[in-house]
Amino acid sequence: MKATRIVRAVAVAAAGALGVAGLVAPAEAATRSLVVIHESNALTSFNSGTPETNLVTNSDVGYLTGAGFAYYDDNRNLIRNTTFGTYGIVTKSGCALAVKYTVKPGRVWSDGTPIDGVDLLLSHVLASSQYSKDAGLGDPADTEKLPAFNSFYGGPYDSHIKGVPALSSDKMSVTLCYDEFQPDWPIMGPGPAPVHTLVQMANGKSSAQSLTQNKADKAAFLAAFNSKDTTLLKKIGDVWSNDYNIKTVSDSTNELLFVGNGGFLVKSAVADQSVTLTVNSKYNSGPKLSGGVKTVVFKFIGDSTAAAQALANKELDIYAGQPTADAVAALEALKGVTVKGGVSACFEHVDLRIGTGEEGQTYTGPWAGMSAKSKALRKAFLLAYPREGIIDTLVAPVNDKAVVVNSSFLLPGQTGYNEVSAYTKSVYDSGTQAKRTAAALALVKKYYPSAKAGSKSITINMLWGAPSNTRRANEFQLAKNELAKAGFNLTNAGGTSGWSGHLGENSYDAAFFAWCPSSVSQTGTNANFQGDGGNNFIGYKSSAMDKLTAKLETKLSDKDVTATIKAAEKLLADDAVSLPIFQHPAVTAYNSALKNVKPAPLTPNIVWNYWEWKY
Amino acid sequence: MLTYLSRRIAQLLVILLASSFFVYNLEAIAGDPLEEIKLSSDPKKFQTMQALIRQLDLNTPPPIRFFKWLGGIVSGLWGNLQMGDARTGQSVAEAIGNAIPTTIRLVLAATILAIVLGITIGVITALRQYSRFDYAVTFVSFLFFSLPIFWVAVLLKQYLSIGFNDWLANPVIDPVWLIGIGIVSAIFWAGVIGGDLRRIAIVSASAFSSSTLLLWALSSIDWFRNPVLGPVFIGVAGLATALLITTASTGLANKPARNASITMVLVGLAIYYPIQQVLTKNVNGWILVGLAVATVIVGLIAGFLWAKEDRAPVMRTSTITAVVIAGMILLDRLMQEWNVYVANDFVSYRPIPTIGQTNDMIALQLDEEPDFWLGSLDSALHIILPTIALTIISFAGYVRYTRGNLLEVLNMDYIRTARAKGLTERTVIMRHAFRNSLIPLTTLMAWDFAGILGGAIITESVFGWTGMGTLFRVAIVSFDLNLLMGTFIITATLAVSANLISDLLYSALDPRIRVGTGE
Repeated sequence: MKATRIVRAVAVAAAGALGVAGLVAPAEAATRSLVVIHESNALTSFNSGTPETNLVTNSDVGYLTGAGFAYYDDNRNLIRNTTFGTYGIVTKSGCALAVKYTVKPGRVWSDGTPIDGVDLLLSHVLASSQYSKDAGLGDPADTEKLPAFNSFYGGPYDSHIKGVPALSSDKMSVTLCYDEFQPDWPIMGPGPAPVHTLVQMANGKSSAQSLTQNKADKAAFLAAFNSKDTTLLKKIGDVWSNDYNIKTVSDSTNELLFVGNGGFLVKSAVADQSVTLTVNSKYNSGPKLSGGVKTVVFKFIGDSTAAAQALANKELDIYAGQPTADAVAALEALKGVTVKGGVSACFEHVDLRIGTGEEGQTYTGPWAGMSAKSKALRKAFLLAYPREGIIDTLVAPVNDKAVVVNSSFLLPGQTGYNEVSAYTKSVYDSGTQAKRTAAALALVKKYYPSAKAGSKSITINMLWGAPSNTRRANEFQLAKNELAKAGFNLTNAGGTSGWSGHLGENSYDAAFFAWCPSSVSQTGTNANFQGDGGNNFIGYKSSAMDKLTAKLETKLSDKDVTATIKAAEKLLADDAVSLPIFQHPAVTAYNSALKNVKPAPLTPNIVWNYWEWKY
Repeated sequence: MLTYLSRRIAQLLVILLASSFFVYNLEAIAGDPLEEIKLSSDPKKFQTMQALIRQLDLNTPPPIRFFKWLGGIVSGLWGNLQMGDARTGQSVAEAIGNAIPTTIRLVLAATILAIVLGITIGVITALRQYSRFDYAVTFVSFLFFSLPIFWVAVLLKQYLSIGFNDWLANPVIDPVWLIGIGIVSAIFWAGVIGGDLRRIAIVSASAFSSSTLLLWALSSIDWFRNPVLGPVFIGVAGLATALLITTASTGLANKPARNASITMVLVGLAIYYPIQQVLTKNVNGWILVGLAVATVIVGLIAGFLWAKEDRAPVMRTSTITAVVIAGMILLDRLMQEWNVYVANDFVSYRPIPTIGQTNDMIALQLDEEPDFWLGSLDSALHIILPTIALTIISFAGYVRYTRGNLLEVLNMDYIRTARAKGLTERTVIMRHAFRNSLIPLTTLMAWDFAGILGGAIITESVFGWTGMGTLFRVAIVSFDLNLLMGTFIITATLAVSANLISDLLYSALDPRIRVGTGE
């Protein structure tokens, strides 16, 4: 006891003696030049082009370190990056479609090497199965062995590209030739890659080379590309597929991996913690960096509460997530933080099973097939499905601007949305929910005369997402309550983990889940409704629909595209196949001092306009 | 003994094999690794699915895939361990290699702290059985025991980090707080020390005034913005510590021990200034290890020289004191970096972080200009909150176990014998009762240390650390079998070995227990 008291008494004196050191007052903070961005998942690679590494964080970092011909803005518009180069359709004999990409002269990589058309050729190696086979790099269709470049093959580019891209004589442009018209050609173009560094790494180099050497190595790549030099290309493929898959970057890491043409360059990275990028002093491939931000840090925080608290503690400048209503309220209470509600890329929808899916025995549920009875029952179900109630209860607290989505092809805000959604809106979104439910009950009564509210005349087996997802559980409950008023009895078919594995089975009558389109394309929705579409799990087979989707795969004017989609929407509404509900809400909260933060639904999301960020 | 060991090890192998088989197949049944991709309407989705099926070998039925995986693990016996790749393409061995040091850093300090604090408080509550203090500690430890860690973490971040950093902008302690803290301290010390009313009054009054005055003084000299210890504080606090350590270790009546301890304080003060020349920015781990060894040697020598006979207790006492004083000097050195640290643009006077293992920008600066102390301070500040959180929830167990065991031992006949022999109360408690009461705790400790590598799943996730716990969680939610099994096999091996080791330790510590007799 004595000792403690003595310690305490003297500690006061001691502390007093130490007071000489004086006061430290927080200095007037200089203008901040650092932006710390939250990512939910850790970076796994500096190359997001392989199937394993095609993840949000990887591609966000890639977006800051590399610029290309176009990018998506916050309204899902594809914006041409004319600072980097131009592209457009040209006429070329023997091609149903020819597109020419020209790099603007004077663009440079961060090591000073000029960017030209040769840098665009790697894209072809990465996307063409034919080239991979011809050059002895392996058959991408082989299920046993990976090709030398572990990239994405297949898809319209792979199926329709003719020959190899033609390099112009000044080496500044390449022209792609397709054997059929590609309505989505604007998003099929090549992106630049610093091929000289790939050649150097393939040859075992690990530090920056002279400009002359860089030019020579670029020429070496062109020669290998033209002559399909298996040996060199295989080595390059190995570098491209594997060497970028690192999580830690320090001064001793091979600097050739981080040559880029974006506004920022990778400076360091700590595995599973963060990546730090600093300004690329030679950047001239995109909009000018106007805001004076010098450093960007991506910080990986999986837990959303933790991220929100890090924002409150000023360890983060930008927080992006899909939090609960409570969490949004907590974010809004923070001082010096701006909160913006918005939408993510995903939209929730309810699908009804019509026929047999991709596997299993014939579907014989209550509304199988296209008879008048089936259609009426399905329509009744969709009419009584409480879309507004779901939005008001579950979505609006997070995104107060949330609206009912009425198109399966386009999303609110996209050109033509109002026109194509008008019919669905008039059928399924007019009047009050009570009226619609009453109409639904009337339809049901035609076939089940004893039906009334709570009669459980028709039992519908519903498949839906993982049980850990509260919103889905609440959504199911809301739907169950409202549909009971129309005589439906909703039971839970899935609700288990692994439910997505049952999507193709006949074990359910209705399912709700979300599609998450990653690009805006004329053909992107076709696979959902085509009779043999890869995403058509519900067995919907309609020759009228197949004709419309086939039409969408051809060259159409904007007006024709809208008209075709409008017809398809009408078909979906009349056949009562599927109904979109809402766009998943997303919230961005950021340091109010940071200007020009514009949340965007499509990749690269929040970072799309990094050049405008400004304190 | 040998038969016992080999039988146990054979059992362990069977348990490991069976449990890993079940975990593998249960996780394989539980979910679809392709779920997320199936729901994408990405034009590349079919290629992505193809690639994953190929990479994860999904066309092979899980039970057969398990044996393929097992083959890779077994071939580790001849040095060719194959743990496979995680679905991100990273090798599992590498991911685990990165995670283990992180986890150890996170959990080790908290585990040791929980053991030391828990045992200390447990002893005090046992000695003050049924006192107000005992009830209060019982209440608090059950409270802590029942708190969910994610909630503790959120509260800690809110008050100790965000709140503290806000307060640091103008670090003046409100009079209400001064008095409040004073009252808490008065109640605490009165409870610990106990005694009659008069004594309680004195203790509470002095505890109240000393803590209030101390805080007031610290606040008025702006110590919180500019914290340092300095030689004066080290001298005074060191002296007090030396006396405390002597009291607990040998009793103050042991003059050589007391003198040796005090000598250590004087030596510490004497080298305070010279040692600063050694503890420069460029100091490295080896120098510090060397200094630690030197500290222990100096402590032993001082004890040896002061004691004429019965040297061991004296040497022990002086060595413990030497280590504590050295710790103070180190802490002081670390605090000298404070001003530089908080003034840094990327800390900007918000020194206590809520998340992460290090400050990225400080790390970047250190890459260019290494500074051991700045880096250490940064790491230390990042580990404060998780350590507090982990300690809070796990120390309750130790408090209760220690209290129960010690009470049980104190009622034994041999304690009565010891007292009847005329041994001092200190000797009875520290040597005869306390030591024996620790035996059952070895089980708990063995488990806790095995648990260290298992990671702290929730703690890691809320504090943004990537250790074994995070790998485990990520592996489960993404149905990443190789990663899951990699973490599982390590954790499970440690758990079953801890079980064996605690049994062996038990028999080594307690002569009444013997292993291997089969009866």
